[in-house]
Amino acid sequence: MSQDISEIPDRKMAIIAESLYLLNLLILPGIAFLVLVWLFIKYDNISIGISGCHLRQTFSASIWVGLLLVLVTWVMLSTMNHDSPYTWMIIIPYFVICHSALVLLGIMGLAKALAGKKFHYPIIGPSS
Amino acid sequence: MLYSSQAVAKPYFIAAIALFAVQVLFGLLLGMQYIPVNLPFISFITFDAARLIHTNLLIMWLLFGFMGSIYYIIPEESEQELYNPKLAIQLFWVFLSLTIITFLGYLLLSYATFAKITGNQFFPTMGREYLEQPTIIKLGLFIVLCGFSYNIAMTVLHGRKGMINLLLLAGIVGTTIIFLMAFYNPSNLVVAKYYRWWLIHFWIEGTWELIMEAILAYVIYKITGDRKIVEKWLYIIVAVTLTTTILGIGHHYYWIGVSEYWQWVGTVFSIFEILPFFFMVLFVFNVVNCTKCQYSNKAVKLWALSTPIMAFLGAGVLGFLHTLAPVNYYSHGTQITSAHSHLAFYSTYVMIVLTMISYAMPILRNRKIVNGGLSQRFEILAFWLMTVSMFFMALFIAIAGIMQVYIQRATDLALPFIEIQNSLMILYWLRSIGGVVFLIGVIIYITKFLIAKSNNL
Ligand code: HEM
Ligand code: HEM
Ligand SMILES: [Fe+2]
Repeated sequence: MSQDISEIPDRKMAIIAESLYLLNLLILPGIAFLVLVWLFIKYDNISIGISGCHLRQTFSASIWVGLLLVLVTWVMLSTMNHDSPYTWMIIIPYFVICHSALVLLGIMGLAKALAGKKFHYPIIGPSS
Repeated sequence: MLYSSQAVAKPYFIAAIALFAVQVLFGLLLGMQYIPVNLPFISFITFDAARLIHTNLLIMWLLFGFMGSIYYIIPEESEQELYNPKLAIQLFWVFLSLTIITFLGYLLLSYATFAKITGNQFFPTMGREYLEQPTIIKLGLFIVLCGFSYNIAMTVLHGRKGMINLLLLAGIVGTTIIFLMAFYNPSNLVVAKYYRWWLIHFWIEGTWELIMEAILAYVIYKITGDRKIVEKWLYIIVAVTLTTTILGIGHHYYWIGVSEYWQWVGTVFSIFEILPFFFMVLFVFNVVNCTKCQYSNKAVKLWALSTPIMAFLGAGVLGFLHTLAPVNYYSHGTQITSAHSHLAFYSTYVMIVLTMISYAMPILRNRKIVNGGLSQRFEILAFWLMTVSMFFMALFIAIAGIMQVYIQRATDLALPFIEIQNSLMILYWLRSIGGVVFLIGVIIYITKFLIAKSNNL
């Protein structure tokens, strides 16, 4: 069973897409995203198999990552009073919960990519 | 049940569940004492005694749970009967007596009296967090662990040797050897703390983690039926655990008085202690998808798939949150630690033991894998009540911890401790409400077994 998985076409690209999504969240914020954008532009239209699915999903999810983790956090940081403990009681849990939920979704996406399957990011991924 | 000696697991599981209920009850009592609710049944016991019972029973019942799980798994994985089932039952009664004596001692005597009666003055090992048990109880526990390891080792050595049972063997032998540190209590406080963490850290982030991974792998194997791929993942997970956890111990050495290089060592290595949990999530979602499994016990699947996710959050994320030395400088020993302790212990060890019980109990009670419909629904309800309420308890306490750090350490306010606690009252209320929901979950969980019984009659 595990043998035929590696023969599924463009499984590799699906794994790379999910890995880039996770790298963007965990170690290389920004850089991994740019690589993902490049791959998305280069390959998205050609591929209809699982690599296309994972590329579109991770591309869309990464944009949500930017919105939720960078934009919203930046807005909160710049509008809220830094000298109040309540600011930090909101921002830190918000960031940690969002970030870990997004990482968990990425792990599930990677698990599916490794298994040669499609994956749909709930809410933050396109429905196709 | 494939081997009749697997039945020795049953009393261990029953004891584990009973002690679990008592442990949570005392947790709730502690939570109530944080908020000044003056009901007589709440203040009949002092905070320190209730805390002793809460943490010590936790460790004891988790050991019961591990022993039950291992006694169940080993004959099947070794493809032969347990070496000495009688010994397993005798050790059960010894261990249960030790636990009850400890519990009653904490409950009825003052700690000083308990120490005196049990002869602590001749060989002092008491009074250290998690190692508060009297010296003779520790000795008894050590003997139980030795007997247990012996029994398992003889079974494994005479039978088929696979990845899962060898890992379990390594886990319990390691647990036993490391427990020897409990008897080493030098008078120099720095040295004493240095070695105490060997025990605590290498148990909960070392040998226990290996046991957890083996049990998880076993249950996933039972769900999917694909041993090869499960063992492949298990290799990766174990390798990552061992390489990160050993020097990761540095995260307990930051401020105890040892050399400063530990701040670097602890920070760098414990960052990667998240990886085993990362791989566990990857593993279960990869494997459970690979096979079109027709596994009918839904509750087991729910427990087994949720355990790594929650462990990733509780041990991984909340652990990482305060494991960097510059962060820990502020957060050390605050409510942030407590939030991590709760979610980490619940998500890794409580959940893995309940996963195993969920899998094994119906078989041990001759219920052919699946319980009756109603009892299964009760279990799933209990799962959600316990897991969600523990998540929120940890969240509230983490928020309380942020506030505490802010007003106690990060600013010049530096209010007195008790005043700070007062300003966190609302969060302590919320924690207690979470605790009540958790306890309801435990009660429903226990009801499940009673229902399953009457179904059968
Ligand atoms: C495997 C499951 C884990 C469990 C059950 C667990 C449990 C605990 C407990 C009970 C404590 C409190 C000890 C005390 O009384 O002072 C603690 C402390 C700590 N844990 Fe964990 N832990 C786990 C995993 C992790 C991981 C993976 C990390 C790091 C990434 C971590 C980082 C820490 C740190 C830094 C402290 C010290 C907190 C302080 O300075 O107050 N833990 N853990
Ligand atoms: C399975 C469930 C539970 C587990 C595994 C657990 C575990 C623990 C652990 C490891 C500690 C020591 C924490 C530390 O030193 O940082 C602790 C302390 C405590 N627990 Fe629990 N607990 C559980 C349920 C509860 C519940 C339901 C409550 C009720 C609200 C509760 C309230 C407390 C309190 C108030 C403390 C004392 C913290 C302190 O010293 O300030 N626990 N628990
Ligand atoms: Fe640790």
